[in-house]
Amino acid sequence: MTASGYTAPSRTARNLRLSQIRGRRVGRRLSRSARQQLWAYAFLLPMLVLLLVFKAVPIVQALLLSMTSYDLISPPRFNWLNNYLFLITDPRFLGAVRVTLYYMFGTAIPLWVLSLGLAVAFNQRFPARNWIRLAYFLPTIVPLVVFGTVWQFLFHPYGLVNQGLQAVHLPPVMWLTNSAAVIPGFILATEWRFVPYFMIIFLAGLQNIPVELKEAAAIDGGSQWQIFWHITLPLLRPIILLVVVISLILLSRSFTVAYVMTGGGPNNASTVIGLYIYKAAFSEYRMGIAAAASILLLLGTMVLTLIQLRVFRDGRDA
Amino acid sequence: MAATLEGGGRPRPPALPLWTATPPIRSRRAWLTVPGALNAAGFALLVLGAAVMLLPIFWMVSTSVKSLADVFTLPIEWWPAQPNWQNYADAWDQNPFGRYFINSTIVATTTAAINVLLSSLAGYALAKYSFFGKQAIFLCILATLMLPIEVLMVPTFLLVKNLNWLDTYQSLIIPGAANAFGVFLMRQTMLHVPDPLMDAARIDGAGEGRIFFQIVMPLVWPAVLTLALLEFRESWDSFVWPLIVISQNSMRTVSIGLSLFQQENMTNYNQLMAMSSVAMLPMLVLFFFFQRSFIQGITSSGIKE
Repeated sequence: MTASGYTAPSRTARNLRLSQIRGRRVGRRLSRSARQQLWAYAFLLPMLVLLLVFKAVPIVQALLLSMTSYDLISPPRFNWLNNYLFLITDPRFLGAVRVTLYYMFGTAIPLWVLSLGLAVAFNQRFPARNWIRLAYFLPTIVPLVVFGTVWQFLFHPYGLVNQGLQAVHLPPVMWLTNSAAVIPGFILATEWRFVPYFMIIFLAGLQNIPVELKEAAAIDGGSQWQIFWHITLPLLRPIILLVVVISLILLSRSFTVAYVMTGGGPNNASTVIGLYIYKAAFSEYRMGIAAAASILLLLGTMVLTLIQLRVFRDGRDA
Repeated sequence: MAATLEGGGRPRPPALPLWTATPPIRSRRAWLTVPGALNAAGFALLVLGAAVMLLPIFWMVSTSVKSLADVFTLPIEWWPAQPNWQNYADAWDQNPFGRYFINSTIVATTTAAINVLLSSLAGYALAKYSFFGKQAIFLCILATLMLPIEVLMVPTFLLVKNLNWLDTYQSLIIPGAANAFGVFLMRQTMLHVPDPLMDAARIDGAGEGRIFFQIVMPLVWPAVLTLALLEFRESWDSFVWPLIVISQNSMRTVSIGLSLFQQENMTNYNQLMAMSSVAMLPMLVLFFFFQRSFIQGITSSGIKE
């Protein structure tokens, strides 16, 4: 109680008055942060629903389906882990795993070296650099089906690749009909399509490395090679990890190239896991087997990713 | 050395976009002497490599205008004396390629539009709002990136079949639009939008939806364009999914149509190469108009392909 006799209105009284002015009841209005939260959920909702329906539900369904026998006609029958037992003894699946690993690592290792080498080259100065880079970049925008179709033509027994071999007096290779040559052929073609893609990623990484570091090393008498080995490569570690993980995941899921170029032949020598899953599901109608193979593929890529993260982390600690 | 490492030296120049990061060379001869220049042998190797990279594309176009008898002639005929452009018309008329192109255009455009809109909304919520469960939701969204259609083809096919969506546009569009990559990209971009800008709009009485469409989206326009191109390309390229859900000829996309044409015309290589060239054309046009966005898409992500 002050001398003037004025009493400050209580909080409720003030709110009441405000609400009278605005003509609504303040007590039921949401606080600012609550309203913001509702807006955030509203913005998120459409994408969340889409992902829930087309990613979360299918992965659960794939897990369930992988433990059933289902041919699309009679209802699915639960059969425990029989599909997995079948797969790990099925010579065709084991063959597909072997082919996939061969293709993945056979492609990935030259891919890393070539794309990093090219990125280092493009990080230098030389005339007509933009035009040359454009030439390197073009294969990246070729649609995958076109890529498969064109290389199937190039690998024709009388095609351009064999004509080139003949020009340097080497014997022709039956690229797509000889089971020993088909994966090397795929590897050759894949390098053409994907080296530029990873080159761009490496180039961005190289250009983020401060020039001062290299200059300082050069002033201290470091050779080009020493600078690359002791400064550039360690600083590039996160980009290298990115490229290694992405390239292996990408290659593990290859389907289009094998489907278009050989359809998996000859004698399943180019049946990658993706093609095995497709054939099991949509030409043999063994949905359970196909689902189990998908789960194994997913687990395989997850384990591979974890190993890579571990390897690169240990490397940094050392 | 120590001073440089601690950042004590001269200030670092601002990061330039990838394509312009090294200043252009003024004089024609200068590149031989400036530090960081490529030596002549390396340059020759690089030019040779560029020729190798271009050769398959050139050979595709060159074969597409040859007569069938000349496709495998020796010595190699680099460009036919009389280019036979009729191959394009003949091949085009054999299968409903016009229809395939319309389908692919509809599907790729719609997929990209839906994905860009929903990704931007979700990315905006994750970047600029604080709410319960934000980190958990973000991690769950990112985890779906491990689940592409190659892994989920069987259950997704069953789902679409149960919805009676086989042989429809929505079966090609909606599962393709359910792609979390854009959420990640838009969130990263929108983190850089300054908060005071949005607060000022709120004080001026703008609603949350209006702030998103009229203030935030125009600011992140380059990222929107990049994402739209990536999604368009991914949809245009997609193969295994349309192969599974489409059986009517009138619903086929360019990818499937070309693959079918290849199986039907195993030996008509000139026509096959003609249609391959046409199938590549839309991407080529987009690339020449939006080169920078394409590059940005690859570098900002690396996850796409």
